[in-house]
Amino acid sequence: MDRRKFLKVAAGGAAGAGVATTGFLLTTAGEKPASVVARREVPTTCEMCVNKCSMIAVVEDGVIKKLNPNPENPKSRGMLCARGNAGIQQVYDPSRLKRPLIRVGARGEGKWRPASWEEAFDFAAQKLAAVKEKYGPQGSLWSSTESFQESFFKSLGLAFGSPNVERHPTLCLASVNLAYSLTYGTMPSFDLQNAKYIIISGANRLESFITPDTMDLIQSATDRKARLIYLDPRFTVTAAKADEWYPIKPGTDLAFILAMLRVIVEEDRFDKEFVSTYCVGFEQLAEHVKPFTPEWAAFETEIPAKEIVRIAREFSDAAPRAVYYAGRRSSWYRDDFSMRRAQAILNAIVGSWDRQGGMVPNGKVELGELLFLPWDDPVAPRADEMDKNFPLAAKGDGAYLTLRENVLAGTPYPVKAWMVHKQDPMNMLPDQAKTIRMIEQMDFIGVIDIQMSDTAWYADVIFPESTFLERQDPVEILPGIWPVVVMRQPVIPPLHDTKPTLEIVQGLAKRLNLSQYFDYTIEQWVHEQVKDLPVNLPLEHLKQHGVYVPPGFPKYGTTLKPEHRFVTKSGKIELFSERLKEAGYDPLPVYQSPQQPPAGKLRLILGRRAYITQANSTNNPWLSSFQPENDLWLHPTVAENMGIQDGDKVEVSSSVGTVRLKSRVTQEIRPDCVFMLHGYGKRSKWQRLVYGVGAADAQILETAWDKVSGGAAFHETFVKVRKV
Amino acid sequence: MKTIEWGFLIVSYLFLGGLSAGLFFASGLAALLQKNEQSGTDRIARFGALLAPLPVAVGCLLLVFDLGKWYRFYKLFLHFEWTSPMSIGAWLLLAFSVVSLLCAYAWVPQEWRERFFAALPPRLAFLRRVNRDFSAWRKPLALIGLPMAVGVGIYTGVLLGAVQSRPFWNTNLVAQMFLFSALSSGCAALILTIIFSKGSPEVAELRLLYMLDICFLALEFFIVVPYMIHGQLSVQAVRESLHLILGGPFTVVFWVFFLGLGLLLPLGIEIRETMPALLRNGRFHYNKHLTAVTAVLVLSGGFLLRYVFVFAGQMSAFK
Amino acid sequence: MAARAKRYALVIDARKCINCKACVVACRAENGVPLGKSRNWINEEIRGEYPRLLATFEPEQCHHCQDPACVRVCPTGASRQRPDGVVVINQSDCVGCRYCMIACPYDARFFREDSGVVEKCDLCASRLDRGELPACVETCPSKLRVFGDMNDPSSDIAKLLATRQYRVKKEEAGTNPRIFYLL
Repeated sequence: MDRRKFLKVAAGGAAGAGVATTGFLLTTAGEKPASVVARREVPTTCEMCVNKCSMIAVVEDGVIKKLNPNPENPKSRGMLCARGNAGIQQVYDPSRLKRPLIRVGARGEGKWRPASWEEAFDFAAQKLAAVKEKYGPQGSLWSSTESFQESFFKSLGLAFGSPNVERHPTLCLASVNLAYSLTYGTMPSFDLQNAKYIIISGANRLESFITPDTMDLIQSATDRKARLIYLDPRFTVTAAKADEWYPIKPGTDLAFILAMLRVIVEEDRFDKEFVSTYCVGFEQLAEHVKPFTPEWAAFETEIPAKEIVRIAREFSDAAPRAVYYAGRRSSWYRDDFSMRRAQAILNAIVGSWDRQGGMVPNGKVELGELLFLPWDDPVAPRADEMDKNFPLAAKGDGAYLTLRENVLAGTPYPVKAWMVHKQDPMNMLPDQAKTIRMIEQMDFIGVIDIQMSDTAWYADVIFPESTFLERQDPVEILPGIWPVVVMRQPVIPPLHDTKPTLEIVQGLAKRLNLSQYFDYTIEQWVHEQVKDLPVNLPLEHLKQHGVYVPPGFPKYGTTLKPEHRFVTKSGKIELFSERLKEAGYDPLPVYQSPQQPPAGKLRLILGRRAYITQANSTNNPWLSSFQPENDLWLHPTVAENMGIQDGDKVEVSSSVGTVRLKSRVTQEIRPDCVFMLHGYGKRSKWQRLVYGVGAADAQILETAWDKVSGGAAFHETFVKVRKV
Repeated sequence: MKTIEWGFLIVSYLFLGGLSAGLFFASGLAALLQKNEQSGTDRIARFGALLAPLPVAVGCLLLVFDLGKWYRFYKLFLHFEWTSPMSIGAWLLLAFSVVSLLCAYAWVPQEWRERFFAALPPRLAFLRRVNRDFSAWRKPLALIGLPMAVGVGIYTGVLLGAVQSRPFWNTNLVAQMFLFSALSSGCAALILTIIFSKGSPEVAELRLLYMLDICFLALEFFIVVPYMIHGQLSVQAVRESLHLILGGPFTVVFWVFFLGLGLLLPLGIEIRETMPALLRNGRFHYNKHLTAVTAVLVLSGGFLLRYVFVFAGQMSAFK
Repeated sequence: MAARAKRYALVIDARKCINCKACVVACRAENGVPLGKSRNWINEEIRGEYPRLLATFEPEQCHHCQDPACVRVCPTGASRQRPDGVVVINQSDCVGCRYCMIACPYDARFFREDSGVVEKCDLCASRLDRGELPACVETCPSKLRVFGDMNDPSSDIAKLLATRQYRVKKEEAGTNPRIFYLL
């Protein structure tokens, strides 16, 4: 931790490294000593979003005072974003879940009684057993979202016998993951730090999510090391920092990429050696892109043809230090998969693969595994019918929207119990009214969370989890160009009557007669994970440093050997995909001009701000203060036609719902779109800062999905706006 | 974070501090000009001296209650920061208050004094030692106090004018404007006192006060005008800050209520009243109601001047 | 080493600012700044008309001026400048007169209703005394603040000031600010 010191100071002040406790004199602005404070510094890992940045918690007299970034992590590199810094508020939030609760009123009425853990476990186990009895184990649904203890929860679902473990990717990045996996056999990282030319479609990395990629992008974009081309219907922070911003017509990014492909192919600008050595299907691709002239694309995208040609030329000139950056949430349009595939293909033909400044397959660190008693695989098929609907998609993640349709229809079988682990389907899924119908048809809903989410608000029993600063988690790998192992250890003991997920799982397992599968402690688990890491005293190392950094990274070119087999059908990078063809999809990306909003309607597009990216931090006072309420962005000419002035209350309606919120009349958006932030208009009264404040996008978004990946299409809703 | 930190408490304090300075100034001047007990300046000197400690005392209370931690006000007197107008002002106010209190005591009529000491409980009998006639001290105290009164009058303006980061205040003219406004409000307060006190006002009294006030108001006016000219010719930030009174939020208050009703109108009335007596050896008009209204206008003009400058100044800033 | 006096200062590369507010929250946590007040902030400006738009973000906080107006006007000496240039407020001497707030050309100070005194950025003086960087400097994802001793020619900040063009804000207020914005 000495790397945090910028200068040497005389003895006395410097606090010891690791979890060592030092007593020192707390002084106010260099004045006389005030009091002696017991101060500890504990390295741990953030959980305010999914990025696993390393932090050092400062604890004074048992109270967490400050979360500092940990520079030893080469990915988060001494950065901690606004949310990470606000992690303290999660612990000391007066309205967090402090003890198990059992519902006493009607669902959604918000009447609870406190219960003991024994009682809550008994209650849930009894309900789950009843559903199992009546509908079989497949009658239960287990929803969870990425977190270090997620695997325990998923294991409980599977051991219980349910095939229905439903994760979040189809609401997020399923299409981009699948597109790259089907092209390269893996989802790579992007070496933004070393890239010279970066094109981004909508992935608003400088505003929507602060990750290591953000740091790389800001350094390369603002130090003029890289040229940044950004396409987005909205003027975002990324647009502001880009060298060129094009307010592209929504849903036409694929046309832009196809025209780039055509220019690069026609002008012989692709990397011939790379394509012939590592790719298959170039001939089909060359034939396929012929019709997509820049002039055609200009008509589709509203980006001038000469700019498309120039960008294609500059991009290929800069290759292999040129990338079409994939970004994170890719749940936009019905043909999202095709657009992501086209990006992957474009990056491939210019040879930006496994080279500095291009895409790089993620490095690996081997962790040990604790051996536990295996259970029998669930026998029933998945309720979301992945095999039938999305044969190529990642099975374990499920497809949330088809799942909901099936549950409501009762096909292929009834699903009557729902266990939710730190997810908020009420806000994650489009068409909230439909989600409420799904909730209403459940016999039982149990929620594990740290706060009273909108979903918890509708639950029958709530198990309060300890926050990330109060518990020991399994160690995790942060994959990437520079993979690292990170440790999350308790900074303070739990403040309230809460438990970590593993203990909640064990409590339920005991009553469901599944204890034999969870017969271990978190300490044993972690010990097995880390014991073979090639470092002296691995566990101690992780506890002291919070992070293990393996040597030898970044590594470039490990796959650039002609004999290397990519994890694809052909063993090569598949420009043309046989697997897609066999599954009945287009083997090359096919463009369909997106439907345009009918007269009088506007396209609703979504986006995020980093301090409230997922819906779970709008109730954090330190973060909500930057945006206490969301508003509807409207272009001034459109607003004028509707007689709407900045700040007026407007009504926004789609085919599935109506919300009211304030307008924000701004130049920063295309005239055919409106925009609102996610995470407001909550139904849970415990979300006191955002309960009924602003509006929830989930209430007006219509249900639509990408046909290949099953990923939700969140930008396909047309809304009517009027002043109220 | 642009906020208005100094509000009506400070406006009132600046006004009341200035009023005390003005009262003392007029009183001191009258005392020094006084030839004998019967001369027409006696009541001016006496009323001024007796009244002078009151507004500043109230003003200081307001100032203390404006502090974030009022009970720490004593800390102002544990330090002397010569670069801080407020520190200088605090000490100056302290000195001025002491002198004006002594002076007031020197002017207390004997009859009141006797009655007061007679009513003292026996335990406080030792205080009777100061039951003496200090009227001989009146002129020396006036001499000591006059510069202090001028200092206090200037200080209320320097407090603002010394803030280099607020272009609206950034000229010495503010201090002089505040000084003459303070002196004139002292005259106005004395005029009011005299016309409403027992015994009809004497022409000599009123003439002195009117002439002083005419001088002060005229001086004030001839500082307000160059203030604006100077501002218009100054750097951009100062020029822009003048917009606050030239089209901005304080335009009406400044032009109509301060300059028009609070300065020029009373100045005009006073000149009209006094001129015949001065020029043609004619009669000095005296209309009680008009005189009262004029004095009230002068006092409100003084208050509004502080209001405009305190508020507008805080809103002005370098870009 | 030469016995030259330290002079702490900040260089800010505002082009790198993405308005993410990490510095604001880090400061709030480190210094217990109440909600609604802030020791540091980001000035936002968006100009132009669709689709030709320009957005600028400019982090700001106390400029730790060489000739601080706040220190000059403070009647009790509560506001003072440390030998290393950091302008601090001794909370136990502050009477809450707010003269300093009015005198500060940058409006970098605020009044705390709960404690009745004035507060502002002190570059995390207690962290400096432990040899740590100010919280805002450390946490920034863009690493746009460079903090250091501008009198030490070998420091990053001195090198930047020697080799890069920069500007200061409101120079005409005459306080000699010590936040340098790179051009």
